[in-house]
Amino acid sequence: MKKFILFLALVSVLIASAVFAAEPIKVGYLAGLTGEFAPYGIAESNAAKMAFDEINKAGGILGRPLELVVYDTKSRPEDAVNAVRRMIESDKVCLIMGANTSSINLATAPLVDRAKIPQIGTATTNPLVTVDEKGKLRPYSFRICFTDPYQGTIAAEFAKNTLKKDKAAILHNVGSDYAQGLREFFIENYKKLGGQIVTDEGYRDADVDFRAQLALVQRSGANVLFLPGLGRDMALIIKQARELGLTDIDIVGGDGYGEFMNDIAGNSMVGTYWITHTNMDDPDMAPVFKRYEETFKEEAKEFGNVTLAYDLAYWSADAIGRAGSTDGAAIAKALEETKDLKLKHFTLTMDPATHNPHNKPGIILKIGDDNRSHYFMTVEPK
Amino acid sequence: MNTLSQQIINGLSIGSVYALIAVGYSLVYSILLFSNFAHGGFLVIGGYICYYALIKANVNIWAASAAALAGAGLCAVLVERLAYRPIRERTSITLYMLIASMGMSIVIENLFVVTVGGRYKALPEVIPMKPVSVFGLATTSAFDILSLVTAVVFLIGLQLFLSKTKWGLAIRAASYNLRVTGLMGVNVNRLIAIVFFVAGMLAGVGGIFLSARYTLYPQLGGITTKAFVAAVIGGLGSLPGAVVGSLILGLAEMLTTGFLSSQYRDLIVFFLLIVTLIVRPAGLFGRSIGEKV
Repeated sequence: MKKFILFLALVSVLIASAVFAAEPIKVGYLAGLTGEFAPYGIAESNAAKMAFDEINKAGGILGRPLELVVYDTKSRPEDAVNAVRRMIESDKVCLIMGANTSSINLATAPLVDRAKIPQIGTATTNPLVTVDEKGKLRPYSFRICFTDPYQGTIAAEFAKNTLKKDKAAILHNVGSDYAQGLREFFIENYKKLGGQIVTDEGYRDADVDFRAQLALVQRSGANVLFLPGLGRDMALIIKQARELGLTDIDIVGGDGYGEFMNDIAGNSMVGTYWITHTNMDDPDMAPVFKRYEETFKEEAKEFGNVTLAYDLAYWSADAIGRAGSTDGAAIAKALEETKDLKLKHFTLTMDPATHNPHNKPGIILKIGDDNRSHYFMTVEPK
Repeated sequence: MNTLSQQIINGLSIGSVYALIAVGYSLVYSILLFSNFAHGGFLVIGGYICYYALIKANVNIWAASAAALAGAGLCAVLVERLAYRPIRERTSITLYMLIASMGMSIVIENLFVVTVGGRYKALPEVIPMKPVSVFGLATTSAFDILSLVTAVVFLIGLQLFLSKTKWGLAIRAASYNLRVTGLMGVNVNRLIAIVFFVAGMLAGVGGIFLSARYTLYPQLGGITTKAFVAAVIGGLGSLPGAVVGSLILGLAEMLTTGFLSSQYRDLIVFFLLIVTLIVRPAGLFGRSIGEKV
């Protein structure tokens, strides 16, 4: 009997220690899985999951596996705030990846600052995400992308100097922080370069019909149309523009581009230009896209989001490893000190003053006759 | 001048699609005196049936549309049977049906979110989208002309059904007084099922056109808010009112955007609604009834 109790005690100690050793490090992922930006969010959480599985197969971080805790933001800041609260309070994550829209990270920034849990956005390009209105750094907010001022500058230079178009029209979502920021910086730089903004029209979140605004663009005589929107609205705008006979106008857009827009707008998309973070033909990313397709039985159509989320997952794992603990403050410090980290789509060095990647190159894509995006040129920061 | 004619064409084309949806709203309202907010759901059902018939069953657009119309109509009948009839049999207060319809609209939307997912689906290009010049005054797409013509055909068809058939007569009678119509020997449950079938079918037509133009997603039904406003402006319960209200709304939206600013559009549209309600509470063509919900 004594022996049996001893045996039981031994077994329970063994089980307990095995469970303890395998206790996963929880990392949150904030993604819009339903609602307007679902295609981007689904691609991101899938890519992050794939990266974590790879890291876990290779032994995990700090001897522990990584566990991804995904919450749906429904693409709404109010739902994102609730999701972040749950991640911090009940799941006890040590780091939050995502989301991909500035509006959401602006809403969750005060929360993560208070809880001292770092949050890294994928395509959150609004400068205010990491530095507040007073110019004060938000200590727990980071991003892996470039910012809107930078993106707006590239777009303005590209439209004016590369395409040599001097009359620009803009069609933007008045309710989106992302669109407002991008639009502002485009106008500022385009005017500086000697270009003229001939019309600047707005629309609202749920709008699907843009013919009235497009008729004004047509009348204004613009030779380039700048679209600081997100995915579907831009696809519908382009489709309706071509239907109204706006066929000669050059169209330039930002990183709200998604490959699924080609399904919506079909060959209306041919010849349009998009400033983004990465390209589908990137040889370093090819094996990742292939694995993605095999794992999820679905083509990595939103390749920009797949790339950003995949690299973000590796960067997060690297930072947790360097921090040597799951303490939020230590991880934030490790993130801030990231230097020359070789990721798939670029080599990351953090700017500790802004929490932006330092001198990240921009990629310009052009939609070819095959209705897919192709690499057009790289813009290196000056 | 050019802009004016362009915006008028655009306004008529979007107004005609609003009309298809608004007429369904009004039809149900005229019989049961409640606003069926699940109407947007029927539209989404029509859109998805058309999409899957085209993509998975590889049938042509005519067969897919027929399936979508029948499917949307049957789903409307089913919703009535499941959600409204039990309420109808227990109480005469229409407010409960209104609340049930809000619930149904959320149920239908979320059924699609969990089954087919929230992604946008683009209908294959079965409907021509080429730019077409209208008497040299404006440019529109072949699609818009087609949607305008289809809307007119269906509205005329509805008018013929209501004025020439026995069931049409019963529906018109029921719109005056459902109870008396029942006392005269009309099978009220069947009459209501027919009304829902017709309303669902019209929503299905709208669903096909809306999803071809704006892509298909579970929240597409949200556009029915506009059709509802149009139905209220025209007078809930009045079919000509629904059509006129829709055209007014479509034109007001396009002209505001064209001549003022796109940002004033919703402001003007809802201002128009409020003014109509103040000046003519029953809408332009509405009969005044004691209680409107």
